[in-house]
Amino acid sequence: MKQLKYSAVAIALISTLAACGGSGSDDTTPPPTDDKFEFAATEMITNLTDDVIISGYSTLAIKGEEMFLASQTLVANKTQANLLAAQEAWKAARQPWEQGESHIFGPVDSLGIDPHLDSWPLNTTDLKTVLTNNSGFSADTIKGWNDDVQGFHTMEYLLFGDGVADNQKDVADLSMSEAEYLMGLSEVFRDYTKTLDDSWLISHDGQTGKAYGELVKNPGTADNTFYASQVGVIQELVNGMIGIVDEVGNGKIADPFGTSAATADTSKVESQYSWNSLTDFSDNIIGVRNVYQGELTGASDKQGIIDFVKAGDEALALRVSSEIDDAIIKIQAIKGSNNMPFRQAIADAEGRGRIQTAVDALSKLQASLESDVVPLLNKWKV
Amino acid sequence: MKTKLSLLALCIAGFSCTSAMAATDPAQLEQAIAKQEAELNKLKHDLAELAAQQKMQLKQQEEQAEVVATARKELTESKWNKFSFKSYGSMTYTSDEYYQNVQDTSPERRGRFDLERIVTEFGYQFNDEWDMEVEIEYEHGGTGTALEYDGFDEFGEFETEVEAGGEVMIEKAELRYRPSDEFGVKFGNIHLPIGLSSILHKPDQYLTVLRHRSEAAMLPAVWNEMGVGIFGEMANFHYQAQVVSGLNSEYFRTYDWIASGHQKRFESVNADDLAYALRLDYGNFKKGSAVGVAYYYGNTTGNRHKSNKVSGDGTVSILAISGAFVQGPWILRGQYLNGTLSDADGITQANKTTPGLKPGNFAQVGSESEAFFVEAGVDLSHFTSIPVTVFANIDYSNPLADVDTGTASKRYENTWTSIGINYFPIAEIVIKAEAGRQQVAVSSIPDTNFFALGVGYQFSL
Repeated sequence: MKQLKYSAVAIALISTLAACGGSGSDDTTPPPTDDKFEFAATEMITNLTDDVIISGYSTLAIKGEEMFLASQTLVANKTQANLLAAQEAWKAARQPWEQGESHIFGPVDSLGIDPHLDSWPLNTTDLKTVLTNNSGFSADTIKGWNDDVQGFHTMEYLLFGDGVADNQKDVADLSMSEAEYLMGLSEVFRDYTKTLDDSWLISHDGQTGKAYGELVKNPGTADNTFYASQVGVIQELVNGMIGIVDEVGNGKIADPFGTSAATADTSKVESQYSWNSLTDFSDNIIGVRNVYQGELTGASDKQGIIDFVKAGDEALALRVSSEIDDAIIKIQAIKGSNNMPFRQAIADAEGRGRIQTAVDALSKLQASLESDVVPLLNKWKV
Repeated sequence: MKTKLSLLALCIAGFSCTSAMAATDPAQLEQAIAKQEAELNKLKHDLAELAAQQKMQLKQQEEQAEVVATARKELTESKWNKFSFKSYGSMTYTSDEYYQNVQDTSPERRGRFDLERIVTEFGYQFNDEWDMEVEIEYEHGGTGTALEYDGFDEFGEFETEVEAGGEVMIEKAELRYRPSDEFGVKFGNIHLPIGLSSILHKPDQYLTVLRHRSEAAMLPAVWNEMGVGIFGEMANFHYQAQVVSGLNSEYFRTYDWIASGHQKRFESVNADDLAYALRLDYGNFKKGSAVGVAYYYGNTTGNRHKSNKVSGDGTVSILAISGAFVQGPWILRGQYLNGTLSDADGITQANKTTPGLKPGNFAQVGSESEAFFVEAGVDLSHFTSIPVTVFANIDYSNPLADVDTGTASKRYENTWTSIGINYFPIAEIVIKAEAGRQQVAVSSIPDTNFFALGVGYQFSL
């Protein structure tokens, strides 16, 4: 009896192993070589790293510094003009950050910078307590507090008000403690944007490690434990694009959108105080275009993911390009003819129609990236 | 046997009668003698047979006694006799109101079933002094994830593995040496005597449906660590003193203070900082009335994987005062916990900036934490025939009672008040129901109501 059992186990094991062996050898069988394409990726990777990613983070760091200066000016001299200037500085910093969300890998993730800068939603309850019970906020103190009372959206709330009826704030409604907290927040904000920039340019861990930019540009070297090959880098870039398209379509827009005007939830709208939501969303997809095209909007043509796709499938390259542009246009069109902010559009019948059109455009783009662009990585003759 | 003896007596009697009458005719006499001789011979033969039978019966009896003795001996020597098995478990249904996000002030209701825990406890008594106990707990149906710190990957990374640990775990694995009631030693994975849940964790030992929420928001639930402890009792005083593995401050979080610093998430436990636990009770909480005090003290920085991120020791100290009054139908139990943490700001800062640690919004750790509960019940079976205990309970916890700098958020300061019943259809099973209210100490967050049902069992072989 026992022997019978052992034999049964042995047979099961052997057949399992055989099955594994079978599937393993299937994987290693090279597919027909005729549909493989060639592409020299070094220039593209170097360009994307330096001219798109690092350039974007450097701009963010500069805008962070400007935001801090604007808030200092506001505290020193609380005028409407200085409040408006600080609002503009916030929007200016918002742009490179949102565009940069198309490549939210590396130090922005590993150093936990994303939650420090862009935690959402804001904890208004705690924020009010903080403002009531404290004054003269130092950056060090604020750094110790939880992320939901700092970053972009806390600054936004202080600068623009609650955003329910409008996105204008009278400087008279800005209390001294609000202004001081804003200054402390923007100092913390500036420090993190600088850390992020430095991590790509100087050291990825802020200590002895190499600059993250160098690691991306030089995959496969002995000391590069991040990227073993150029395939890995391109995969990271493409997945970054897919990630933000998914987040905008299925998260940022869909969550507050709900299934009907009745289930729409304004409390989930990102950047609802400044009414900057639609700009955020289109900047997210412009960020996708930056990576895809290889240059920031308006800059001279350089190599981007499009050149890689072109080498494999020229028609697909053009199709994805137009799908990205289409998604941006459809997002921008949500505002309609009367400049309706997103938080109002989700409760408006026509607005909802325009939102659905934008969501469809994003879904189409996401499908193309996932099912047509990603498979090209397997056809690339490295 | 008796009948045979009587028969013999009758024969002898008959024989003496005939001999008395028989002296007249020699031929007849001879005949009679011959007859008597024959009868005597027969009797002799019968007697011999009887003796043989008696002898055999005696032998059989002896054999039987021997079999019984052997069986008895085997029974007392049986390994099964030294083995013990216990089990307890509970399943709950809760209906709570919850908030979608930190801005949300209109709660939504959600019902939930949970196969809370099934615990199996195996014990073995090696001899009079030595025994061992292993407790395996399956929480929420089993399986889970373990976290690993990989120091060789990149610049050191925290990796989650869906493989081991987590929700099926060894809650206790201890060896005990107990030469006398006054003194014993236990070592291995042992329960810390901090928090009443470590002592009273079977469903029939607490009145609420879920274990006390106040304790769960501050301490590891049924806290177990690797270490060694001494224990014993003298004149109704019970003492415990332990040296055990400490906590890791990388996992301290806003909402449950040091509780998630319990290193059960790792495959091995960092033991560069040890902790000390003491407890002294008068009376026995498991059996009824008692009062007790417990103290925990230990550093935590040394147990961080990135131990250079915090400059101070991150010392945790916890004082627990507890009491129970169980008399006739009355049940009253309560506990007050107060904890302090040094270098709370340093730990917050380090956790926020350690790559990959991702505490998100929960990095800020209280320099002080506080919790208490009081539960009171009346066992109605003393007055009626229904085996029901009615109870009222209050739980309070504030894991962020104070912070090193700035103002502590009141969002984590919670009070739960409830009433409910425990119904015991049989002694080993309890069915519970509880309804109550949760209050957050922030005025803009509305109070919410909760309802809970539970069934629990416990038995031992």
